[in-house]
Amino acid sequence: MTSERSTITTGDLLRVVGRAFLIQASWSFERMQSLGFAYAIEPVLRKLYPEQKEFSDRLKLHMDYFNTQPYFASFILGAVVRIEQDRAEGRNALADVQGIKTVLMAPLGALGDSFFWGSLKPMAAVIAVAMVVGGIWWAPFIFLLFYNVWHIGLRVSLVFMGYRSSGDAVALLSRYRFTGWARQFKLISLAVLGGIVGGIALWRPELKPEFSMPDMMLAASAMAFTLLLVAVLRRGGSPLKLMLALAVLCIVLALTGVV
Amino acid sequence: MLLAIIGVAIAGGLIGLDRTAVGQFMVSQPLCAASLAGWMLGDAATGLLVGAVLELIWLLDMPVGTFVPADSTVAAIFAVAVSILGSEGGVRLSSVGLGILLSILLAPVTMIADHMVREFNARIALHVQSDPVSVRKNGLARAHLSGLWFFFFKSFIVYLVFVPLGILAVRMFAHLPDQYHRAMELYVKLLPLLGVALVIRKLSVRTIDLFLSGGFIVAFVVTIVFHGSIPVIILLTVIAGLLGAKYYDQRT
Repeated sequence: MTSERSTITTGDLLRVVGRAFLIQASWSFERMQSLGFAYAIEPVLRKLYPEQKEFSDRLKLHMDYFNTQPYFASFILGAVVRIEQDRAEGRNALADVQGIKTVLMAPLGALGDSFFWGSLKPMAAVIAVAMVVGGIWWAPFIFLLFYNVWHIGLRVSLVFMGYRSSGDAVALLSRYRFTGWARQFKLISLAVLGGIVGGIALWRPELKPEFSMPDMMLAASAMAFTLLLVAVLRRGGSPLKLMLALAVLCIVLALTGVV
Repeated sequence: MLLAIIGVAIAGGLIGLDRTAVGQFMVSQPLCAASLAGWMLGDAATGLLVGAVLELIWLLDMPVGTFVPADSTVAAIFAVAVSILGSEGGVRLSSVGLGILLSILLAPVTMIADHMVREFNARIALHVQSDPVSVRKNGLARAHLSGLWFFFFKSFIVYLVFVPLGILAVRMFAHLPDQYHRAMELYVKLLPLLGVALVIRKLSVRTIDLFLSGGFIVAFVVTIVFHGSIPVIILLTVIAGLLGAKYYDQRT
């Protein structure tokens, strides 16, 4: 703990942000993101602890089990940088950095899974698929742009927020309404899914089922078939088995001359 | 042909890194991965078609905790590659259907391969922790980033082994009677409805959901009464969903 210690700059935090994009490069069952976490924080530790022994000890400490939603790991990384900085500068030598990681990783993991995997990605994808079935070829670009504005924006800002707040999850939740947004995105996705089925008459020719019936009947039949599939899935039908069963159904319909 | 298969394996391996190891920018989602693969093989339209069909099917197969879902990126790129490379004189919709059907069989293979990669990675972590000297000499970064090779080679080898087999299957399929081709064409057209059903099951606890029904009615009216277009339907359903969600939030 000497005056040689350097304070953390914006550049240091940006290096953490850059490395955080690789946090899962060596994801494993036993340690999950532990090596990735240590990798992301390594440049900061090297700066904070010029003595080789102390650096090595702190780095090894961060190789313990760690797993959370990869985007939300940025918040914990920011918080840990702050705690390590305080420790290195002699302000909070007894801070339990492992304890803070353990406390934050599970709730942030659940929040991130629900927000990113369970609501933002489905909404972006459902809208993009609706565009493709309607013949809009640049839908994948819209999907990537829309998703990554949120993804990259949050991933960068969460490192800084974690650093400033020292890992105050309450501050995070009061700034971003993740649960409210997640609910809205899910409901919008459901409305667009209804729109995809209801607009089946406007699907591009490669995808539009060719049954000799009016558009009104086609849409109603498509919705009835979809709801039947939902009911089967709710009774424990597996997606893979259903895909195979659908193929068998199509072959039977073709061999019996129905289509 | 051999060069094309190797090209698919390299590109697929690189795109697959986005799934877990690098960034997760969603380039590896079936919609984007299949479109990219199709564009590289000179048929972006087939790529887009396969991507749209598979996107909803695999959308909510999420990697939560230690659960490793089937590799939808491999499935999408495989389906595109075998449909395009297996077709002579233009891609038939039935070949696309067969490509997608064959991609289902790859699901367990990719899950096993993913498990193996993660077990290799566990050895890396153990090695680094047991060797502090290596840690001091920047071994951590080297060891961690070596995981990228395992993830890359996992997909690369799967493509290299299974794409030629898929191409062979598509070429043999071309000689089957016309009924089988009609069956696979119908299969491609019905799969989006299965995709919609899979997403509904995960997003709503009700089979007949209020928002789903609302979106359906909006689209139905726009299509049948006003002869509108898909962009109009998307816009109106998004607005309807947003307003409905806000109303629902206020009420609860």
